[in-house]
Amino acid sequence: MNWLAICEESALPVFGGIAAWVEGKAVAIFNLGEQGIFAMDNTDPATGVGVLSRGLICDLQGDIFVASPLHKQHYSLTNGQCIEDESLSVELYRIKCEQGKVLINTAIVGGINDE
Amino acid sequence: MGCIKTGLDLKPKLLVIGNGMVGHHFIEQLCDQGMNEQFEVEVFGCEKLPAYDRVQLSKYFETGSPDALMLASVDEYAKRGIRLHLGKEIVRLDTENRTVYSSDDEIWSYDKLVLATGSYPFVPPIQGKDRPQCLVYRTIDDLEQISRAALSANSGVVIGGGLLGLEAANALLTLGLDTHVVEFAPQLMPVQLNDKAGELLCEKIQALGVSVHTSRATTAIVAGEHARHRMMFNDNTFLETDLIVFSAGIRPQDTLARQNCIEVGERGGIAVDDHSLTSAPDVYAIGECALWEQRIFGLVAPGYQMARVALSHIAAGVSGSAATQFKGADMSTKLKLLGVDVASIGESRGFENAQYVEVSDNQSGTYKKLWLDETGQYLKGAVLVGDASDYSLLLNQYLSGEKIETPAISLLQQDSDAPMAFNDDAIICSCHQVTKADIVERVVAGDHSLAAIKDCTKAASGCGGCGALVQEIISQTMEAQGLETQKGICSHFEHDRQALFHLCQVDNISNFTSLIGKHGTVDAAKRGLGCDICKPLAASIFSSLENEYVLAVEHANLQDSNDAYLGNLQKDGSYSVVPRIAGGEITPDKLIALGEIAKRHDLYTKITGGQRIDLFGAALSELPTIWQALIEQGFETGHAYGKSLRTVKSCVGSTWCRYGVQDSVGMAIELENRYKGLRAPHKIKFAVSGCTRECAEAQSKDIGVIATDKGWNLYVGGNGGMRPRHGDLFATDLSTSVLMQYIDRILIFYTRTASRLQRTSVWLESLEGGLDYLKSVIIDDNLGLAAELEIQMQKVISTYQCEWKTSLESPEFLTRFSEFVNPVQEPNADVEQYRYSRGQRFPVDAKGGAGTISVKNIDLCTVDNDLDGLATRVSSAELFEVSAQKECEV
Ligand SMILES: Cc1cc2nc3c(=O)[nH]c(=O)nc-3n(C[C@H](O)[C@H](O)[C@H](O)COP(=O)(O)OP(=O)(O)OC[C@H]3O[C@@H](n4cnc5c(N)ncnc54)[C@H](O)[C@@H]3O)c2cc1C
Ligand code: SF4
Repeated sequence: MNWLAICEESALPVFGGIAAWVEGKAVAIFNLGEQGIFAMDNTDPATGVGVLSRGLICDLQGDIFVASPLHKQHYSLTNGQCIEDESLSVELYRIKCEQGKVLINTAIVGGINDE
Repeated sequence: MGCIKTGLDLKPKLLVIGNGMVGHHFIEQLCDQGMNEQFEVEVFGCEKLPAYDRVQLSKYFETGSPDALMLASVDEYAKRGIRLHLGKEIVRLDTENRTVYSSDDEIWSYDKLVLATGSYPFVPPIQGKDRPQCLVYRTIDDLEQISRAALSANSGVVIGGGLLGLEAANALLTLGLDTHVVEFAPQLMPVQLNDKAGELLCEKIQALGVSVHTSRATTAIVAGEHARHRMMFNDNTFLETDLIVFSAGIRPQDTLARQNCIEVGERGGIAVDDHSLTSAPDVYAIGECALWEQRIFGLVAPGYQMARVALSHIAAGVSGSAATQFKGADMSTKLKLLGVDVASIGESRGFENAQYVEVSDNQSGTYKKLWLDETGQYLKGAVLVGDASDYSLLLNQYLSGEKIETPAISLLQQDSDAPMAFNDDAIICSCHQVTKADIVERVVAGDHSLAAIKDCTKAASGCGGCGALVQEIISQTMEAQGLETQKGICSHFEHDRQALFHLCQVDNISNFTSLIGKHGTVDAAKRGLGCDICKPLAASIFSSLENEYVLAVEHANLQDSNDAYLGNLQKDGSYSVVPRIAGGEITPDKLIALGEIAKRHDLYTKITGGQRIDLFGAALSELPTIWQALIEQGFETGHAYGKSLRTVKSCVGSTWCRYGVQDSVGMAIELENRYKGLRAPHKIKFAVSGCTRECAEAQSKDIGVIATDKGWNLYVGGNGGMRPRHGDLFATDLSTSVLMQYIDRILIFYTRTASRLQRTSVWLESLEGGLDYLKSVIIDDNLGLAAELEIQMQKVISTYQCEWKTSLESPEFLTRFSEFVNPVQEPNADVEQYRYSRGQRFPVDAKGGAGTISVKNIDLCTVDNDLDGLATRVSSAELFEVSAQKECEV
């Protein structure tokens, strides 16, 4: 288990996203308060540009998504799948907060977030 | 008389005496029906000005000029072949010989005569009433006199605490006078309000600095010791003042009728029948001078009805069409007096044996009373002070005459958008008189969207206030039919943009959490997250209404890609920076400064179609530094990232151009500075040309202004881009102040009523009645909204802020621009990201770009290159509203 401390929990904006460098990779972190904290690759798979942390959070089809700020494809925060294009998906990371610190597990998970 | 005659001089003669609001309305209707061709029409007005908007009379004090109030002009009448004689009083009428005489002894004969002489202020016969600076409040001329008198006055008294008296008091207050109201009755507005309501109104008005003296009759006005006058009262007290305005009621101007034994009422007023015909053949009386079933109607709407009725009777004589009848009018009123909401409905002062419900809330300063019949089952009257939000529902209940099924107090505790309270024939849209049944019928017939209902019933296409209600009725009807209801803007709201705007406005909602909590669907409210459709929309509405800093904590996470970081997101994830260059005018020093900043940050530099300079390739974290430098050099944000005013393009105009007739650059700068920062359903572009050669291409803009030798012509609803449209000529030869007044009104009306991402061009086409309707709302103020629209615009203008300046001044906002929580961990930069060409930096082509988006599942995708530089999800209904623009500032 490679849990890496990234930053203080207090450094995360609430209900918004921010990016973090994790072992040389950009990861988008979304802190949705009581609805959980999520981490995914920051790169928008449709364009290859690192912008997902700047996307808007959306509640659609019973799941939570981030809309890419570039072309508005929606990626699930819980399974990485893109709504508009089945062939696109984003890698998810495990993330948790402990003792005021944000920890990310660099081992990629295919789907479910464990927090 | 048989009226169909041919040959020019054989046309029958139609004379109209009085060119007030009603007389003018008569002429307008006459021309609309082409009847100006069939009659030789002459109009006589005592006043030196042609018809103006008396209802808005007090606005004169805002500008000190009647310009904005004018309804008619001699030229316009002449164009329609009508002669308007101003400053001409008709002093004698001879019904025997069918002639009228003016005070300078001219004579005219008539075949049809319309008396529209209005009324005059009643001045009680008090000793000293003719002393100088004892004035009345009825005409522009009166107001000019009051303004002049106020210059040398410290205090002013209004005699009469009715509706008009309070309006006059407000005027004195704004003229800076120590203001008093003296009322004979024990309370204010004795005609409309009961004692308690009058008391509350009195408290509220005193809180504004007006002294109210009730139960006082003035017995004499004599010379004062400390002021010009001393007013003596019946209780042996007195009050000194420099200026007195009488507002003790009005009397119908019926002198001409009396001379000829035309039937008049006991207490005045020219008696008319259901066709507005007087007792003399071919003589009609309309408006405030007319008495119908022993009643005078002191409001403009019934006067307009009489004008139409009289006209239809005249037309019937010509063409044999059926004449309509006047059936009386409801005198319920709702207004804001000195900022206090006051409404009265029906028998608002109560009556014998009435049952009542009274709610008096001294904490919020509201008072409401309902009057019910003896059985307590029917609403007969109501009075509301301090909060008139129940007015429409109550008025409906009253007018419908339906039995109240629940305890009457529930009428005051209704959810403002609970349509179940409406009966089938309740009027939902009062602008267009659409009933609930009309809407239900169309929904059952298959029109399931608000847009479709607006189209076919006109409901919600007026002031838009009923939009939310109409939507509810649609949803309910569909549910009753077992149909799945059409969704609103997105899966979280069942409302369209206009309805949401209205809800935010009336409920004072200014954050997304409350909006989704209160008006979102059940599921949406539970999660509270919303989506990329409703959040930016809400943010835009909040800014249109409150104009708060867009990145304030409660708004920041709502903003779309560009607004979210106050820059325009580019394909490589960098931003572009566009400072405002109002009117396209820039000093060499600023140009140099801009160049230096661009050079320092290696920004790709390009001149946009909107005559400003766009700097590309700034990383998110670089934005604050770049803007700091720009602001130090005197620049401010250009709002290129917002759905807001972009640019006001201009040609060089009369300052340099040989052909120019006005200073188009000066005007462009003024307009751009006035409207900068206004958040709207979509971006807005203006242009100003200095003469008809139109070098600024103003007709392709949302708002186009073209100079004439007399002023400015205003065009509305132009568009460039994918769906080009020439703007419609809205008004001609406007003065600068009227031009801005119209633009103020148009823009706010647009932000209130347009759909999401609807440009003005499409909006204008979608308005039922199109350009003429817009003119009637903006110029004629048919919806009575103009003042409200202007106030809202004033609020936006006065709360303008450069969002970048605010951001830089507040470190807590600046953290938003740190893209990474742990920037020190950044790996070495990927130098391959950029290439150089033609002396500037460009992104190396990454994959993607708007052309390669694949679209699945979700309705439709289209490109609005200017929007966010991106594709946006739109419902198919909205597709036609979104367009890619050529002059984009991506
Ligand atoms: C301050 C103020 C606020 C008001 N607010 C409202 C409101 O909120 N809502 C509302 O519905 N109503 C309001 N009213 C009332 C409304 O203005 C009148 O109902 C309306 O103007 C009546 O129109 P009219 O054409 O009948 O009369 P007027 O507008 O009075 O016009 C009559 C014209 O005829 C002219 N005239 C008279 N005799 C002769 C003659 N012998 N020869 C030639 N010309 C003659 C007069 O000079 C005058 O110009 C307000 C009025 C005032 C003064
Ligand atoms: S529009 Fe008229 S004033 Fe403006 S540049 Fe062209 S010719 Fe000159």
